Amino acid sequence: MTPNAASPASGSSGPSRRRFLASTAVATAAVAGGMPLLAACGGSESGSGGGTTSGRNARKVLPAHVASDVVTPDIPSKNGSSMGFTGKLDVDTLKTSVPTKLGKGGKVTVMSPFWGSPPKQNCAYYTAANAMIGVDVQWQNQDGNTYDQKLGAVLASSDIPDVVVIPSWNMTAKIPSAIIGKFADLGPYLSGDKVKDYPNLAAIPTDAWQRSIFGGKLMGLPMPASYVQNIVPLYRQDIFDKQGYQVPKSADEFLSLAKEITNARAKRWACGDMKWTAFNTFGVISGGEKSLGWTMVDGRMTHRMETPEYLEALEWTRKLFAAGCVHPDFELGKSQATDPSPKFAAGEFLIWNNDISNWYGQQAIQATQNPGFKIWGMDIWGHDGGNPVLWAANPAGIFAFINKKASASVIHDVLSVANVTAAPYGTKEWMMTNYGVEGTDYTLKNGVPVKTDKGNNEVANAYVMIASPAATIAHPDFPDYTKAMVEWQQRMGAFTRKSSFWGLQVVEPNRYTNLTNDMEQLEDDIVRGHKKISDMQQYISDWKRKGGDRLRDWYKKLLDDNGSAAS
Amino acid sequence: MSHSTVPRSSAEATTPVKARVASGGATGSRAKKVPDRLSLRLRFRRDRLLILMTVPAVVLLLVFNYLPILGNVVAFQDYDPYVSDNGVVAILHSPWVGLENFQQIFADSAFWNAVRNTLVLFFVQLVLYFPIPILLALLINSVVRPRVRALSQAILYLPHFFSWVLVIAVFQQLFGGAGLLSQLLRQHGFDGLNIMTDPSTFKFLVTAQSVWKDAGWGIIVFLAALASVPPDLYEAAAMDGAGRWRRMWHVTLPALRPVIALLLVLRVGDALTVGFEQILLQRDAVGPGAGEVLDTFVWWNGVRNQDFSYAAAAGLVKGVVSIGLVLAANKVAHLMGEQGVYKK
Repeated sequence: MTPNAASPASGSSGPSRRRFLASTAVATAAVAGGMPLLAACGGSESGSGGGTTSGRNARKVLPAHVASDVVTPDIPSKNGSSMGFTGKLDVDTLKTSVPTKLGKGGKVTVMSPFWGSPPKQNCAYYTAANAMIGVDVQWQNQDGNTYDQKLGAVLASSDIPDVVVIPSWNMTAKIPSAIIGKFADLGPYLSGDKVKDYPNLAAIPTDAWQRSIFGGKLMGLPMPASYVQNIVPLYRQDIFDKQGYQVPKSADEFLSLAKEITNARAKRWACGDMKWTAFNTFGVISGGEKSLGWTMVDGRMTHRMETPEYLEALEWTRKLFAAGCVHPDFELGKSQATDPSPKFAAGEFLIWNNDISNWYGQQAIQATQNPGFKIWGMDIWGHDGGNPVLWAANPAGIFAFINKKASASVIHDVLSVANVTAAPYGTKEWMMTNYGVEGTDYTLKNGVPVKTDKGNNEVANAYVMIASPAATIAHPDFPDYTKAMVEWQQRMGAFTRKSSFWGLQVVEPNRYTNLTNDMEQLEDDIVRGHKKISDMQQYISDWKRKGGDRLRDWYKKLLDDNGSAAS
Repeated sequence: MSHSTVPRSSAEATTPVKARVASGGATGSRAKKVPDRLSLRLRFRRDRLLILMTVPAVVLLLVFNYLPILGNVVAFQDYDPYVSDNGVVAILHSPWVGLENFQQIFADSAFWNAVRNTLVLFFVQLVLYFPIPILLALLINSVVRPRVRALSQAILYLPHFFSWVLVIAVFQQLFGGAGLLSQLLRQHGFDGLNIMTDPSTFKFLVTAQSVWKDAGWGIIVFLAALASVPPDLYEAAAMDGAGRWRRMWHVTLPALRPVIALLLVLRVGDALTVGFEQILLQRDAVGPGAGEVLDTFVWWNGVRNQDFSYAAAAGLVKGVVSIGLVLAANKVAHLMGEQGVYKK
């Protein structure tokens, strides 16, 4: 059976798509006949039924919203972008949003993902931040790339830290039911007007709090994000200018540019693993979170895997790999043992799919040593040269949960920490959380704070993961970058659509949670040539039979019961 | 080897070899026939210090190896680890599903893929890895100067102490597509290497890495066996006109035969374990089609996807088959005249 039951969301030539699929569809039929069929996914129908909370039920637990009025952004949010601050930041006249220290000096252990090498517990940044908050926060930073491997085991043990940070992309398999069972209900502390004890938490947008409702209870402390999806094709603008390369405007243009750039003998490849940009450029429904992967297409509840553009995106990425345009380190996938940043800085590859924060991040790291280094972000192009179709990310994607067994004083201490880390731009608290200690982590150059190497390495992740203010982009040392990033989000936001379950925190029933365990692994295998597109088609038809169709009905019912928050 | 045979093995080994050096055979040590055995109490008194020394290891074994075997009951359940903090409570609250997990395992192509990869890797390692420590031991043994000998030995077994994470990172930087060797090749007009990401050569890559890292460590056992051969045997053989190769065939190898047999039995019994950390770190580079072995299959389903019941079922199948293999291999060893893992 062919997967193009739903007609494509983006308008583009039909015949080429059908031709492509016809060739692989034959293979699917042949494979389907020969492979041993999996026994029907039995198991008891017991276990949590999953669901979501919205509307009136949500309003009962959501905290009140009291907007912050500390500073007004230079670039207000538009099309779902973050707010931008480009003006000069006067470090001496910073306001404070926490007039009295709320922390009582207790100890709080936090397990959190970290991308990079985590600093020592007694570094200046952590010590000063703890002193400002009045709580002794003990960090257990784990490698962010393999966080999912540790998470399941830690949550199953009896020794869970006081706080565990869980990004939504790590909420695979049974993790959501673990969250509901193992973490504290924060409703008694934050619902309604109770949040006003923590003014910075009251300023967090309600959209982000909506996402923190698990099992009908307010459980997570959110890190609000722009709903514009976060992957930007970053590129070395300095090298592009020098060599006369043009930023591509279509998938084919990218492919020919990649072939032009690649010269393996001179140790230069065009790009890294462009899979996520491929999904964006072909308009594939978001794969960032399970519930975002389902949406109504022409009256039918459809999963992203079932759309033709999904396979096309994989095929385009596969072509890139097969043409040798991808830096060989990326063929190692998750087995890549070394950090690609130094190789990007050395010009070994010129285009790198990355989180938008690295647009500034990589530039800041390299600026001190390599003044010519200029990193910029490409606008996402539509695969056929037209406007792209982008799918929205959720308003909050990273949450901090508090151990159910934590005492009231520990919970109070954690909320005090969150109150400080969620302080808005323009406050002393924000400066400490994002820039660290003056002299050690940043220096003032003409009144502009510039991070030192130590600051770039140590002041990252950690505190901002516990809670953050409304989505903000503010880098006083690189105002032109701030402007570029916010405006990129605003341009991309104009093309961004919201899927049916956008904005909700959906927990799937236990019996369906393992259905797509192998999906991402299979995608990575296909783009690297280890498996074929026909294998994915086989996987999709197996998925449908093993529970995908029943899951579709479940989501349809969820939509009918709750309505959609997507406008 | 049980401790009671250790003091006797070297003494036993010389007597039969001395008598049969011409025929090239050797028998395993046989316990001296004691007319009546000492009572259990007396034996306990005699050996109590030795037993006391083994107690810590036995306790560790009991707590971390034998007690967790009871946890395999989750293979017959639909286990939910998050029902309770306490594992025992979680087991008691999880529903019983009987053999359903096993039915699913045997119908899962990913499982059979893992089995196939495991067996292929086992045979490749048996042929390409297993003889290497023996050859190296013979080589080192033939070095006369003690300083050269000690230095070569140290260089050979030093890599054993590196962690796999480090070893694989170094391999990637040397042999990867963007590594030093590939750059050198490209500069001279050839294509770069892709052995770190090629699924078809993965088994040879893994074996080569194991040889580099662990073969040196394996020579220790063989060197000990070789050191126990009295030098007058060699002199006697030389005087009888045996050249270097015949001396090796009739004196050296027979001394190694019991050790080789024992290690072979252990290796075959362990056939389904072909390495975990080394494979896990490279699983994504070649894809699970070529990189998944039974242990990583269990890890992927159990630790990574929290489907502990499924993983436990796979682990149990592996364990049962391995027991069968050990018993079979041991029987073969007995038939060959060696003592194997335990005496009859």
